Amino acid sequence: MLSITRRVGERIVIGDDIVLHVQEVSGSTVRIGIEAPKAMPVYREEIWAAVKEENAAAASAAKDLPSGPLKPPAS
Amino acid sequence: MSLTVESTRFGTLEIEPEAVLSFPRGLIGLGGSRYALLSTEPDSPFSWLHSVEDPGLALPVTRPWGFFPGYEVLLSDAEAASLGISGEAPTDVWVTVRATERVEDFTVNLRAPIIVIAGATGPEAFQVINDAPGADVRVPLFAAGADVAAA
Repeated sequence: MLSITRRVGERIVIGDDIVLHVQEVSGSTVRIGIEAPKAMPVYREEIWAAVKEENAAAASAAKDLPSGPLKPPAS
Repeated sequence: MSLTVESTRFGTLEIEPEAVLSFPRGLIGLGGSRYALLSTEPDSPFSWLHSVEDPGLALPVTRPWGFFPGYEVLLSDAEAASLGISGEAPTDVWVTVRATERVEDFTVNLRAPIIVIAGATGPEAFQVINDAPGADVRVPLFAAGADVAAA
């Protein structure tokens, strides 16, 4: 992994389209501004991983979903 | 002219082009840019979001409000701005279903709903991160207190 040391107010450019701004450092917290193209979504890693896992689990469903006595409440 | 998909689950599917949703960002971790919504059983609350590019890729989905009447989708300003959908009401909202052996154990992902907007050249869909309190990734569909996601 590439590691780069930056100061508050400095930036990192990835390719031609992605810019990271180091906005603020406070204790163990760092605030980062991100400019990225619309087609390049940005996620907090733990949320991305959790959603990825749920999507993969959903996509593993068999064709015949079990049916049961439970129905959704009438909306 | 309809599209033909040789689905690994459902066999030959004829899909009308109007039924195809464009996913400019794909599904998180799964990718894909075009999916169709299939209703395989008329009375089921579940539909399938089926890739028209990958015959083996399909996810069961449901509309959240039948189960969670108070469900809300709250996008951060940054998310709405980056999607370019500020102020635009979605035409439809779906959540993915983790289908287990028993329907009683099904869960849905209220944290990352799929919102559908009209789009300039046809319907566009985005899996977004919902900031509403209590909107978790694995919420029991048939929990007694099904208003867990109500904000």
